[in-house]
Amino acid sequence: MDGIGTRPETKAPDWRRVAAIATPLLLLSLLPLYATFGASAYEQRVIIVLGIDIMLVLSLNLFNGFTGVFSLGHVGFMALGAYGSAILSMPVAHKAINLPELPAWLAGVELGFLPSILTAGLLAAVVAVVIGLPVLRLSGHYVAVATLSFLVIVRVVLINATPFTRGSRTFFGTPAYTSVWWVYAWVLITIYIAWRILRSPYGRAMLAQREDRVAALAVGVNVLRTRMLPFVLSAFLTAVAGALWGHYILSFSPNAFYFTETFAIITMLVVGGMGSISGSVVGTVLIVLLTETLRELERGFDLGFVQVPPLYGLSQILMAVAFISVLIFRREGLLGNTEINFMRLFSKRERTADKNE
Amino acid sequence: MKTKALMLGTVLALGALGTLASAQAAETIKIGGAFNLTGELSSLDVPAANGAKLALKEINAAGGVNGKKVELIMRDGKTDPATVANITTQLIESDKVLAIIGFTDSDSALAAGPLCQRAGIPFITAGATSPKLPAQVGNMMFLAPFGDNVQAAVGAEFAVKNFGKSAYLLWDKGTEYTTLLADYFKKRFAELGGTLVLEDTYQFGDKDFSAQIAKVKSLPKQPDFYYISAMPDDIGTTVKQFREAGITGPIVGGDGYDTPLLVQVAGAAADNTYFTTHALMDADNGSPAVKKFMAAYKAEFGHEVENAFAALGYDTMRLIVDAVRRAGSNDGKAIAKAIEATQGFPGVAGELNYSASAHVPRKGVTMIAVKGGKFTLGAEMVPEKVPAP
Repeated sequence: MDGIGTRPETKAPDWRRVAAIATPLLLLSLLPLYATFGASAYEQRVIIVLGIDIMLVLSLNLFNGFTGVFSLGHVGFMALGAYGSAILSMPVAHKAINLPELPAWLAGVELGFLPSILTAGLLAAVVAVVIGLPVLRLSGHYVAVATLSFLVIVRVVLINATPFTRGSRTFFGTPAYTSVWWVYAWVLITIYIAWRILRSPYGRAMLAQREDRVAALAVGVNVLRTRMLPFVLSAFLTAVAGALWGHYILSFSPNAFYFTETFAIITMLVVGGMGSISGSVVGTVLIVLLTETLRELERGFDLGFVQVPPLYGLSQILMAVAFISVLIFRREGLLGNTEINFMRLFSKRERTADKNE
Repeated sequence: MKTKALMLGTVLALGALGTLASAQAAETIKIGGAFNLTGELSSLDVPAANGAKLALKEINAAGGVNGKKVELIMRDGKTDPATVANITTQLIESDKVLAIIGFTDSDSALAAGPLCQRAGIPFITAGATSPKLPAQVGNMMFLAPFGDNVQAAVGAEFAVKNFGKSAYLLWDKGTEYTTLLADYFKKRFAELGGTLVLEDTYQFGDKDFSAQIAKVKSLPKQPDFYYISAMPDDIGTTVKQFREAGITGPIVGGDGYDTPLLVQVAGAAADNTYFTTHALMDADNGSPAVKKFMAAYKAEFGHEVENAFAALGYDTMRLIVDAVRRAGSNDGKAIAKAIEATQGFPGVAGELNYSASAHVPRKGVTMIAVKGGKFTLGAEMVPEKVPAP
């Protein structure tokens, strides 16, 4: 088992540790590097959206995967981030035209990119604390239902807060700030946070109450507190991802933050493996690449000997089939609870040591 | 391990196929077709896309344009803003299209428009009716249909002339289209000296209108007519419930009513309903252009025209090809100039006129009256005054 929370018994020499940490970082940085030098505009788009998806899946995993309670409401935080940051960063002159009914204290505000996404993230974190206090006391399925109703509430608020959001009409005029480097910097931050939390005593407590709530309580784990930190953190990171998405897509409406998006993120999470950081990344990359490829294929193609006609909607059907296959053949997801162990790449001895654990 | 290898193999194979698929080249005039062929908007976008395909076939049968065949590169936006942005980029970058046509809603048009604007490629929306789009996006953005301000003005003028000066207004606050339509109606109606006896709202997807109906019933005196700004999915249910509650006065609305659902769901109750739309899609009573189009559509796709969006898609495709012909160049700016210079272009859904300052065509509006479960021509009108976008 090279599961989370287990540390290799033998200390590897320093260069191996460095290499083991550097390899995934290098692999990940290939994406923004390629996007900057050599990718077409379309490939750039895919790489940027992929990065944002990785962030969304990872931060959902930080809560769902590691605490074992299922949140269906994270897209609500994403919406708060997207709208919040867009309103804060929109130039004052544009606000006067696009959002004429905005209250005076907001109409005069124009923050830079980083301050506005951080503020939007903090807003989501505060909301997470408020709803977390009652909701996280619940167990299992009740959390899923309660967070789902949070999502519904966010949608209703967005639709009715017309002076701020233009209601259900398209919100536009978001400054185009998001670049591939911003996105991947945040991806790294998200991975780092998830990694550190998991390997802290706090993370162990999270896993303990996931595996056996009663036993965890018996050894003095405060269940509410151990759930609260990942919940608030993942709300923050989800909102930041939402803000990055907003500053990239530029015009959106409350419809973008509802069931379709919720299930898209959950699919990536489940395919990759709940409870695994590398699983989240692998699952997201796979699903995004597969969707894009299938989307290309469903337009029909010519193989020289056969002409395949366009079959729009085929990509959705094939994705569903792939998803069901994963559920049947690898119920725990591609990586399950385990991580890709880069240490192994650099040491034969380590592998045997791992097996003996 | 075997499963993993299998999966990897599949992905690679699919990727190779994808590259094969995109490896096609020929000397053609390439036009991008960006439509939501799947998802919630497909009931409007598929007819529009079919209309465009039909126009393409006719254009190529007539020898293409400037001695070249025309190619319509169709991509599916899946009613998802991120995918809409992706396919627009692909059309511009990978397919190198001269111009893009498509979409029937302003959400998608707003996602695609700015990308076209940045690339300097003209974008004509086949069905989005928000007159604010050109101001929001820029000088590469054009509308094929009239703006909501125009149809709302016609609705108000027609109703005041024929029914009277007191009205009830109900609108769906869930979509851009129904919100704008209700807004413009209110403006024009007030100018005409009308009074709203009651204004009420509902949310897209509501199926029960008993609360709204109870308020109408409790009015001391019923208004001369009822203006309901609704989406195609809701309108049948709304009209049916109003009629069942004993409200018999004329119901007036916009092009969202232009769906077979109105008569299918409401049945005989749909009588005495009036709505503004792009053209009367009726094989018996329509204009000669409509009859010809309907026959060709049926021959091509094997079923009747679903709604006026098919005609709009057809017009849009013909308009862009005509503009490319007149521009005589592949330059986006020149094509946009040619669209702006369009005067008296005969479309199935009305004559098209543009200018540098008007990227929303000045078009006549068709008023349809539902009688005996059938759409009949109520009036062909140009509004006397149009509210500012």
